[in-house]
Amino acid sequence: MTHDTQTPPPPPVKPAGSSPFRRLSAVWIIPAIALIAVVGVAVSTYLDRGPLIEIAFDNASGISAGSTELHYRDVTVGMVEKIGFTNGLDRVLVSVRLNKDVADFVDADAKFFVVRPQVTAQGVSGLDTVLSGVFIEGLWDSEPGGLQTEFDGLTDAPLERLNQKGLLLTLRAAGKASLTEGAPVIYQGITVGQIGKTSISEDGTTSEAQAIIFEPHDRLIDSATRFWDTSGFSFTLGPGGAALDFSSIASLISGGVTFATMVSGGVPLEQGAVMSIYPDEASARAAVFSGDEGKTLTLSAVFEENIAGLAVDAPVEMAGLKIGRVSALNGLVDPETFGDNRVRLVATLSIRPALLGLEGEKDDAAAMEFLAARVQDGLRARLATTSILTGGLKVELTEVPDAAPARIEPMAEGGARIPTTASEISDVSATAEGVFNRINNLPVEEIMNQAIDLLGNVNALITSEGVRNAPETLNSLMADARDVIASDDIKALPGQLSGVIDQLGTLIDGFNSQELASRLGKALDDAAEAAGGVNAAVEGVPDLVARINAVAANVEEVAIDKMADQMTELLATVDSYLNQSSTRELPASLNTSLTELSAVLTQLREAGVVETAKNTLNSASNAADTIADASADLPRLIEQARQVLARAGTTIEGYQANNGLGRDARDTLREVQRAAQAVSSLARAIERNPNSLLTGK
Amino acid sequence: MKTAREMGLIGCRRCTRVSPAGTEICPRCGGKVQSRDPMSLQKVMAWWVLGVACYIPGNLYPMLETKTLVSSQSNTIIGGAVDLALHGAWGVAIIILIASAVIPVAKFVIILGLVIGVRNGPQISDGLRQRLYEIVEYIGRWSMIDVFVVAVLSALVQLQTLVNISPGPASIFFALSVIFTMISAQSFDSRLIWDTGKTPKPDLPPEPMAHKERSA
Repeated sequence: MTHDTQTPPPPPVKPAGSSPFRRLSAVWIIPAIALIAVVGVAVSTYLDRGPLIEIAFDNASGISAGSTELHYRDVTVGMVEKIGFTNGLDRVLVSVRLNKDVADFVDADAKFFVVRPQVTAQGVSGLDTVLSGVFIEGLWDSEPGGLQTEFDGLTDAPLERLNQKGLLLTLRAAGKASLTEGAPVIYQGITVGQIGKTSISEDGTTSEAQAIIFEPHDRLIDSATRFWDTSGFSFTLGPGGAALDFSSIASLISGGVTFATMVSGGVPLEQGAVMSIYPDEASARAAVFSGDEGKTLTLSAVFEENIAGLAVDAPVEMAGLKIGRVSALNGLVDPETFGDNRVRLVATLSIRPALLGLEGEKDDAAAMEFLAARVQDGLRARLATTSILTGGLKVELTEVPDAAPARIEPMAEGGARIPTTASEISDVSATAEGVFNRINNLPVEEIMNQAIDLLGNVNALITSEGVRNAPETLNSLMADARDVIASDDIKALPGQLSGVIDQLGTLIDGFNSQELASRLGKALDDAAEAAGGVNAAVEGVPDLVARINAVAANVEEVAIDKMADQMTELLATVDSYLNQSSTRELPASLNTSLTELSAVLTQLREAGVVETAKNTLNSASNAADTIADASADLPRLIEQARQVLARAGTTIEGYQANNGLGRDARDTLREVQRAAQAVSSLARAIERNPNSLLTGK
Repeated sequence: MKTAREMGLIGCRRCTRVSPAGTEICPRCGGKVQSRDPMSLQKVMAWWVLGVACYIPGNLYPMLETKTLVSSQSNTIIGGAVDLALHGAWGVAIIILIASAVIPVAKFVIILGLVIGVRNGPQISDGLRQRLYEIVEYIGRWSMIDVFVVAVLSALVQLQTLVNISPGPASIFFALSVIFTMISAQSFDSRLIWDTGKTPKPDLPPEPMAHKERSA
């Protein structure tokens, strides 16, 4: 059969294998390998996956799940996986998947903050985040301390962000010093630290800031170091010219702080120590010596009176010693405590325990104990006047006898309140007013009128004819005397000794007969006595001065009302002194003496003894007259007269030859000399200062 | 119409010489001859599974990562197409969607359908199945267009920090998916399309036996 022949022979039959793998294609190995690989990758990823930590932030500005990274030293060590809320939606909870290798270091002291671009006066920071978006930066130390999974994120970068170790301080502004966040701490022009976030202190009275002093500069800081504010600039205009002083542009704009260790012997500070910042270098230096050490004890005092004048920094005194200062002033409305809605003045007192002089521990607790004990004994705070003129007030801690019992009460908002008592201001102001009133009521015009009268009297006395004529009379006297002494005749006497002796003999007889010598002596005695009287009068003036001083002292002792009476009395005394007949007669008696002296000389001349010398004396008199014109030249004139007298004395010594006339004449001339000297001193005194009669000087 | 197998013949796929059924070695070229590849469906399914598995991450991960100075952007295939569409580039968006989403998914469905048709009996005519198979074979390579675009862009746009385009992880998975799908399609023994069972099968061992055992 053709059909059968066309059929191919049956092929050899190959039996199928019994193994099920024979029927399974080898290609399944590939998906199996893929599956194994996927599972392996998944398992290893799961095993290598780090832990999830949760960081709570105030907001999630710029943070996005899956793209915001966690950086540590600018290396990515984690990724934000989820952003959610804490219970109650009050904070944002950011879940971050940590790398496994850093997980163990993220312990309890790890800090997290969001780095955002910032432009400040100190520069631009976080610029890289402008392009890449914000990232979370983590800070932790290199000591593994076990993983923590819940953290509170910081709102701002902490100071140690730069991973520079250093000394952390709390700076507290004193007075008008200002703290600026992020400002540098500059030492010798080099930035050695930085001020961190500023805040208001817990009691609300000062501003505080964290600050870090980087290593190794932190060894510059010890307990004797003082910080001060270098922000802004100072302009001084002095003899050395104008000076504009600021430390750096950055500190000019944004403030800065510098420091110096004023005295040696400080001890190293611990981390977190509290230091004060002073407004300027001067006050910082001053603070070193003002015992500005240690902690302060803060007390509040509520004053019932509403009196202006108390200012921050006003002193707090106890027994006249400054023990602190007023650190803040506030108003207080507390109907529960005081029973009304009145605003009361609350002064926050900053008391330095070191200034209380306590034995042993000088901390605030000991000071508190001490003050509490004193308050039980009646210690109260009160306002007192610092200065009558400026009206400044201070707070005084004073013992009030029979005070109502009180004690230092702790306040709800912290701190303690010291009881107060009525202020002393009202009394002081009343006293001051009284003083001013009494000064106002003084009869100043009367005193002035009396003084004017007095000066008029003095003027009249000095310008009176008698006083004015005294020099002229004296001049003529001197001229006469010079005529006598310097006459050629007398000079020629030695040559004509015998004749002269004869003449002298006759003269002596004449003298003897007329008792001229004794009259001359008497006249000179009178003159001397008169001069002495003037001197005594002048000597009496210091007593006046003493009494004036006493009056002045009385005035100082606020016995001002008596002052007017005493002044009046004094002026009356002075007036009566000047009106005394003896004073008024003083020039007259002087004139009398001089007239008598002149008369003596006239008699001498009339006696013919020195008749020939008259011409010479006249010619000398002309010269003396010209000198006399200048009354101010009186002392010189008198000096000349003394010289003349000295010459006369020398000349007369030549006649000492057992001759009564010579001796008498010498005595006479000595008397004249004494009189002239006395007159001279009076005239000099009057001439130098016409008021000397009053002042005694 | 009878198939060669029904006529007791077997064709060599290398040199196309027809031999009587049962021949194992082609008398002309020495190649191994099989009337049907008994492992065909297994191979198809193995590669198909791999292709689908790679397709999933290929669509979930970003295909292209664009980093400019101020921003960083990464898009998945579908996301990129949607972005383009939202920007008004409908034409490009549709091309990308067709090339990257419609065609691969259609391929998966068609291959799966062919396999099911072979194993459980066809629901559609043999001619249409053959046509579908040819389409899958033909268009499979065009799915790589997305991968080529990524490769070209990544090579050209490398301006360091200014603009930088780099392929995302999806590009690898997507390329693998396309490759595996192509292998899967090629593993399909198209002769199986005609073994519909409508015509009585000759009593020929061993392939039908093996086929029957598997299906049972």
